[in-house]
Amino acid sequence: MLNAIRAQRAFIAVASFTLCVVLIFPYAVMLLTSLKSKDTVYSIPPTLLPEEWVFTNYLDIWTVVPLRHYITNSVLLASGSTLLALICAIPAAYALARMRFSGRRIYLYAVIATQIFSPIVLLVGLFREMRWFGLLDSLWALVLINGAFFQAFAIWILSGYFASIPYSLEEAAWIDGCTRLGAVRRIVLPLALPGLVTTVIFVFIQSWNEFVVALTIILTETKKPLTVGIFSFFGRYDIEWGYVFATSLIATIPVVVLFLIIEKYLVSGLTSGGVKE
Amino acid sequence: MRELSSRASGDYARRSARKKGPGGKSVYPHLWILPSVTLMVAIVVVPIIDLFITSFSQVSFSGLRQGFNGGENYVSVFQDPVFPRVMINTVIWTVAIVGITIVLSLGIASLLNEKFVGRRLVRAALIIPWAVSLLITAVIWKWIFDFRYGTLNLMLQELGIIERNVNWLAQPVTSFPAMIAVGIFVSIPFTSFVLLAGLQAISAELYEAARVDGANSWKRFVYVTLPLLRPTLTVAVVLNTIYVFNSFPIVWAMTRGEPLNKTDIVFTYLYKLGFEERQLGEAAAVSVISFLILVAFSVSYVWFVTRREG
Repeated sequence: MLNAIRAQRAFIAVASFTLCVVLIFPYAVMLLTSLKSKDTVYSIPPTLLPEEWVFTNYLDIWTVVPLRHYITNSVLLASGSTLLALICAIPAAYALARMRFSGRRIYLYAVIATQIFSPIVLLVGLFREMRWFGLLDSLWALVLINGAFFQAFAIWILSGYFASIPYSLEEAAWIDGCTRLGAVRRIVLPLALPGLVTTVIFVFIQSWNEFVVALTIILTETKKPLTVGIFSFFGRYDIEWGYVFATSLIATIPVVVLFLIIEKYLVSGLTSGGVKE
Repeated sequence: MRELSSRASGDYARRSARKKGPGGKSVYPHLWILPSVTLMVAIVVVPIIDLFITSFSQVSFSGLRQGFNGGENYVSVFQDPVFPRVMINTVIWTVAIVGITIVLSLGIASLLNEKFVGRRLVRAALIIPWAVSLLITAVIWKWIFDFRYGTLNLMLQELGIIERNVNWLAQPVTSFPAMIAVGIFVSIPFTSFVLLAGLQAISAELYEAARVDGANSWKRFVYVTLPLLRPTLTVAVVLNTIYVFNSFPIVWAMTRGEPLNKTDIVFTYLYKLGFEERQLGEAAAVSVISFLILVAFSVSYVWFVTRREG
């Protein structure tokens, strides 16, 4: 019995260690390569660790590519998309959680359906529509598209949170003279704060990471967000891997930090829709 | 005013207030969903309609419609010798990624369901591939698989497994499985967390009872865990299948579907057709075909989700 427990412990230790190594491995490669000099990156035979640790890649990329623009664009489009998604999702999620109305079911289906359609399926239609709006090569197009496609997720998570807040609290606020809107603002939103934070961060990250729509809509170098900017390194004759990974690391760190904050809430929120006890 | 009077008159009013809230008129709720509906119609519904119209139209280089041309776009898509290969690739891609991801994630979720030192660290590591942009992860793997300078060839040589460098991404035999592996890599975190949530919902008493009845750990897994995990597994399969449709960046960064479209999946094929060859009409036809497949899939998903809601 004792041996069995010991064997199980050893197995868990080995398995979890292997898992960690595999999961972190590519990102460690990214970090290490970004700290190599160009000569070391292209040395034969290749080395795993840098021969000498250099930070020149991190200094060079600011002049090699319009990195300042890439970062600004990513921040702008991700914030804009998040704001738009939230403005639309908060009242809609509240209505779904609290009200019965005609067409509610159809609306619910539509929300779930947009969660399913990846923008790439509609890309030709989206491209033609944005051209018609005169929004080709504009960050506004990305804000509209991301906002529309990620609002479904926001509605999904938020209506779950709103529904979990006792209705009597709102009723008490009404008796005290609050309007419905006032009660939402003073009671519901503060209580749903974890849900709001989760939604904001998740939509922000998704928009920050989005690639294919930005690749299609944005053409001007200084209007590109980080993802498309990183990809444009590939257009050149030989790929400067040191630059690619330095830029990638800059794009990655904020996102991973934000994600670690919401991990706990995110998983319970995502699964609550489909799996009920 | 209205709310106050109805509030005062007891239980029935309370129930009707629950439906309508203060100042409840019947159009009221629709105002709340109006912004969301507007955005959805403008950015999702309109492009879908446009897609159908475009797929039956002659379209100029810059994307202008120049009248209907019957089903010509569809005919030329189906006559494209590459198209069957692309569809088969897409099926292999989806089945392989979803299947292998589920099996591996089940193992990882069971691991994380145990208490052990360093569990938080494993959870944190598991977050990373989920959080990082798919494009960046794919770009890193492209570098790891690199013929001359890649880390994979270096390690395999050091271990004595290969003698000469393998050009992983140049031939479909190795590049397609390599990309599928990356697809699995990025799908595992989400799936593991979903399955872990499912496992944690299973009461420990059931395992205790099975143990008392003399079931070993394999039997406990087969007769207790799997049946109780079935709804979660279904959710995981469905969501994964949907997310696989987002895997455009993996192929785009690693092989671009080359050589000769042999590693294309339907989305890279459609992108090339529309935005490189500028055959927007044909690209619209391919979109409509994949759209219809997605709808068929979505209907079963919606049915599944709402069936539980009752």
